[in-house]
Amino acid sequence: MSKTEYLVEMKNIWKSFGDVIALKGVDFYVKFNEVVGLVGDNGAGKSTLIKILTGVYPPDKGEIYINGEKIDIKRYSVKKAREMGIETVYQERALAEQQALWRNIFMGREMTNRFGSLKIKEMKQETNKLLRWIGFTSPAISSELTIVRNLSGGEKQGVAIARALYFKANLIILDEPTIGLSLTETEKVLNFVKKIKEEGKSCIFISHNIYHVYPIADRFVILDKGKNVGEYYKKDVTLERIVEELRRVTMVG
Amino acid sequence: MGEEFAMKIIFINKILYQFRKYKLQISISGIAFLLLTGFFIGNPNLFLSSYTYAALMSVIPITIILALSLTFVIACGEIDLSFPSIMSFSSWVFSSIWKITGNDILAFLGCLVSGILVGALNGLLIVKARIPSFLATIGTMFFWRGVVMVITEGWTISLAGTKGKIIHTLLVGRIPIIIKEGVPAQMVWAIVLAIICYFLLNRHKYGAHILVTGDNIEAAKVMGVNTDKIKFLVFIHMGLFSSLAGIISSLEILTYWPTMGEIHLLLAIASVVVGGTPFTGGSGSIFGSFIGACILGTIETGILGIGLTGFWVRLLYGFIIIVSLIFQVIIRGIKK
Repeated sequence: MSKTEYLVEMKNIWKSFGDVIALKGVDFYVKFNEVVGLVGDNGAGKSTLIKILTGVYPPDKGEIYINGEKIDIKRYSVKKAREMGIETVYQERALAEQQALWRNIFMGREMTNRFGSLKIKEMKQETNKLLRWIGFTSPAISSELTIVRNLSGGEKQGVAIARALYFKANLIILDEPTIGLSLTETEKVLNFVKKIKEEGKSCIFISHNIYHVYPIADRFVILDKGKNVGEYYKKDVTLERIVEELRRVTMVG
Repeated sequence: MGEEFAMKIIFINKILYQFRKYKLQISISGIAFLLLTGFFIGNPNLFLSSYTYAALMSVIPITIILALSLTFVIACGEIDLSFPSIMSFSSWVFSSIWKITGNDILAFLGCLVSGILVGALNGLLIVKARIPSFLATIGTMFFWRGVVMVITEGWTISLAGTKGKIIHTLLVGRIPIIIKEGVPAQMVWAIVLAIICYFLLNRHKYGAHILVTGDNIEAAKVMGVNTDKIKFLVFIHMGLFSSLAGIISSLEILTYWPTMGEIHLLLAIASVVVGGTPFTGGSGSIFGSFIGACILGTIETGILGIGLTGFWVRLLYGFIIIVSLIFQVIIRGIKK
């Protein structure tokens, strides 16, 4: 049905901040139902690229296509990106810590009657279903009794991912989701990402740690100093090979 | 793990949750009870007399109404220090319209509108000019107080003629029930408003957006909550309730005082604090603010009633505030 195999395509993206050129003609795409690992050191341009994709900054030059349609960059915004199904999950900025889970899942999109009165029962039920579905098995975690503050770092991201999927996001962007997490917590996050793939949706997994991205991504894109310096399908390369490549490009650059 | 085991855990969690959820309310009610018992023992005659309660119920609603709306402001992560001046300004509006037209309904509506407008101005300063609410409302606090002082030159305005008129009867009349003095209508209004506020904060979209804005404004914005609009509404809400509190205060004593409301600044803030609403935003207890206002409102009468000098009043205010804050720290500590 779709005219293109790409969910998102960015062509020749340039962006500078004052004298610093953050992106120097980057080409980047995400296919339907694909998990892309976006890897690079701090300052490589990963965040800038993603902020352009999600409408936070406009690029200085370049083209963006979503579902094969060219985006009018002047009219593109965070709101517009969300309407087109692109959702970003930040570790710190996703959830309201003191609130119960149901309030977080429905934050800004509450189910209400026409007088604005909350349909609390429905929202709690939906949240409980959603939590089981995304993989929370512990009976101690529930929509009304659990306060976000009491969840672990990985679990919080699970809630945010579940929320994005519930509201029909097509592309979920995870910005350094495993930073500062323990091994078991990282494992949890990776399982949540698998759920995105199972749902037939796409994901961009940003990380400076290739070891965290490797088990989960279908394809890896390596950015360095504002350039796309490598692209590998997991089926074609081993982890060792990518690590080797990463080392080479960062040395040369 | 069997189904039964899981159900058991859920059940235990629910009980613990209910206990935790109402722990704050339980502890504040405990404080109120202890205090009243102390006063009662100290002067049984005073606290057996219905007159005492009639007097308390005529004054405390003013603090309650202010504390209710202040709970929304604080839950939203903001503060309003200008509400005493709004009280005075909008009551001056009432008194002036009343003096000119003799129409109390018109004067009442004018008063509420002025409260809304002055609240909206606070909202604009905070949302549009991006001035922190603490500073913006210090500015408007002085400004509106200054306005009424300049206009009235400090003189009071008699509202004696309003007695028996519909607004007076409706707001501060005596309802001949329960006690022989009659229950002051303002107490009924305070309870009605508390119920409405409870609903708005906990079971309405308005409250849901206030809580997430006060909790994590970045997340709220990202999720599409119009945080500017919410803050704007919260300050309008505060303005409206301040004007109502002001008019009740004026009608009760049948006089407009330009300096009115000054004692309510700290009293209302302290009621919210004692009631367990944290200053960090993201949560608020309407029940707590209601009881908090009742506790602080009873202290003065109680202190004088048991024969201590008025100097003790402040000491006990301070003591109650500190004790309730310690309670809250302990309760929140256990939560973690």
